[in-house]
Amino acid sequence: MSFNPLAERGIPLAKQLRSWSELNVEPYRTEDVHPYTRCRVIVMNGIEVESIMFSHQFARNTPDVELKQRLALVRRIEQQQQKAVNWLLPGEKQENAVEITIGYEQVAVDLTAWLARNEPDPYLRQCYEFGLLEDFDHLYRYANLMDLMGNGRRAREITGDYTEITPGRPTIFEHRDPRDDLRRPMTKVAAHRQSILNAMTLVSSEQQTMNYYMNFGNRPTEPLARALYLEIAEIEEQHVTHYESLLDPEQGWATNWLQHENHECWLYWSFMQTEVDPRIRAIWELHLNMEIEHLQIAARFVEESEGVDPASLIAPYDRAMTFEENKTYLRQLVEWQVDLTAWDSEFLPVDQLPEGHRYFDYQATVNRGGAPSEEVIRQHRERFGEEYRLETDGPHPVVSLREEDGGAKLGYERNMRAKHPQGAAQTIDAEPTPALAI
Amino acid sequence: MMSYTNSNQDAGGLKQFVNKVGDAVGGMMGTASAATMGATNAETFVASAGAGDLYEIAAARIALQKAQRADVRTHAEMMIEHHTTSAHQLRSALRSTEVTSASPGLSVPTTPDTRRQTLLDHLAEAPADAFDDTYLDQQKLAHQETLTLLDGYGRHGDNPQLASYARGGAPMVQRHLRMIETMRG
Repeated sequence: MSFNPLAERGIPLAKQLRSWSELNVEPYRTEDVHPYTRCRVIVMNGIEVESIMFSHQFARNTPDVELKQRLALVRRIEQQQQKAVNWLLPGEKQENAVEITIGYEQVAVDLTAWLARNEPDPYLRQCYEFGLLEDFDHLYRYANLMDLMGNGRRAREITGDYTEITPGRPTIFEHRDPRDDLRRPMTKVAAHRQSILNAMTLVSSEQQTMNYYMNFGNRPTEPLARALYLEIAEIEEQHVTHYESLLDPEQGWATNWLQHENHECWLYWSFMQTEVDPRIRAIWELHLNMEIEHLQIAARFVEESEGVDPASLIAPYDRAMTFEENKTYLRQLVEWQVDLTAWDSEFLPVDQLPEGHRYFDYQATVNRGGAPSEEVIRQHRERFGEEYRLETDGPHPVVSLREEDGGAKLGYERNMRAKHPQGAAQTIDAEPTPALAI
Repeated sequence: MMSYTNSNQDAGGLKQFVNKVGDAVGGMMGTASAATMGATNAETFVASAGAGDLYEIAAARIALQKAQRADVRTHAEMMIEHHTTSAHQLRSALRSTEVTSASPGLSVPTTPDTRRQTLLDHLAEAPADAFDDTYLDQQKLAHQETLTLLDGYGRHGDNPQLASYARGGAPMVQRHLRMIETMRG
């Protein structure tokens, strides 16, 4: 059944302010939280943070004092919503930074997979599938790190059996020249309305992951953990560049505000329908009712300032974003697309890159002396005699990425050796860096 | 710039002169076409924008072999890089639903059109001591044409995605044009 937030009545803004005790919500219990409830909490925090930071940027770029007041009023409530959402995550003694990281990467996998499967535009779908295989690999690297850090819990306790933990596109090969992260943007005029929502969701969630690793990546004391966080934090920078370049850069500030509020409505509406925890479902419902009012404030501003009918910019929702298993889809993707890389806005198998392409130079520079994402697997094998994997549906679909194979024989590696032998010697064949002992 | 007088118009000089006039006429025709059909029609726009990138890359490759001046070679390297990006962006735009739903089957050309191939032939034929001037003269004409095309389609184009592509590329072409004018002195 479709839902039109412009036709609904929300909670008046003047009645939305909450007290400290109302905001200081009881966290979920890590022992019995559903993995996808954790995912929904993580996603909604990222959405609220993006909305708040957008509002600040808008305010910094307008001299209109009355508009600044409207933005400040709505933004204060968005800030309260962010607290009520993010404070659902339990404290460090229940879920430490690496455990939360596993949750972040499960979000990246199953959120991106759903969005890709429900993306009407083939180019955008390709962009999502490309990023998905990289986040899929991060989950596997962090799961191995989690074991090495020895807190007693294993990644499966966070993810359940919903998401497999196994190599995707190996992280070491994801590093590429910044120009090769820029994609072709959609347009607000012609893009499918679902495409706009999908891209905004990925920008917000990847940005949150980037910010998390930027700030929490230096909290562990173990050198290998710090190194892995900084390496993957750099990929998150690539992913934010990749996803944000899909958004229409020419839509005005007012329209963009409307899109942000609409985006929040869509996700609260989605999660309200799929949440299994009744207490948390009540928060999604409350926030949807608040967001409907925020949307209508932004809609009035679009009409007043741009003379545009807001109904022409957004559409009623007919698809709820749903966290669900994507194992079969992911297995096919890994099999078909693991060897892809990017050149500008296009994707191609790495062996089609010309000799001397900037990709090989970038690889040779950042991976000089080895990559923490490889080292974490090597150390796990050394200590436990095997890697940490959760392959519920059979062996890895790419033979060269099966554990017993003991090393990637992918196009990436072949090409690095053939087209940049010096780079291969400095990266693939590099001795492990002693400083990275855990 | 080379000057052509009656006294030094030997057979080679005459051919260069004819080529130069041909390039200028071709450039004017291209700009006129870019300002009319290319400014509104998706099919004409894609054909012209795609052929423009192919020409720029091929011309720059010739320049890397024949250019005398270091700044001309540096410019040629930049043209290969920037117009490869432009070609990739156009190809990606054509894969989006925004284009495929309105113009199914639209694709980028794989070889330069006859007019641009003639420009490339003239570049290949240019003697070493006249190459840099010939290349820079062509660069000015080609970039003027591309800028007209992108500006026009960006404002009046019939497909929003391709118009967005045009507006995204125009500032770069404008900067190229300024550089070329500075290099021509």
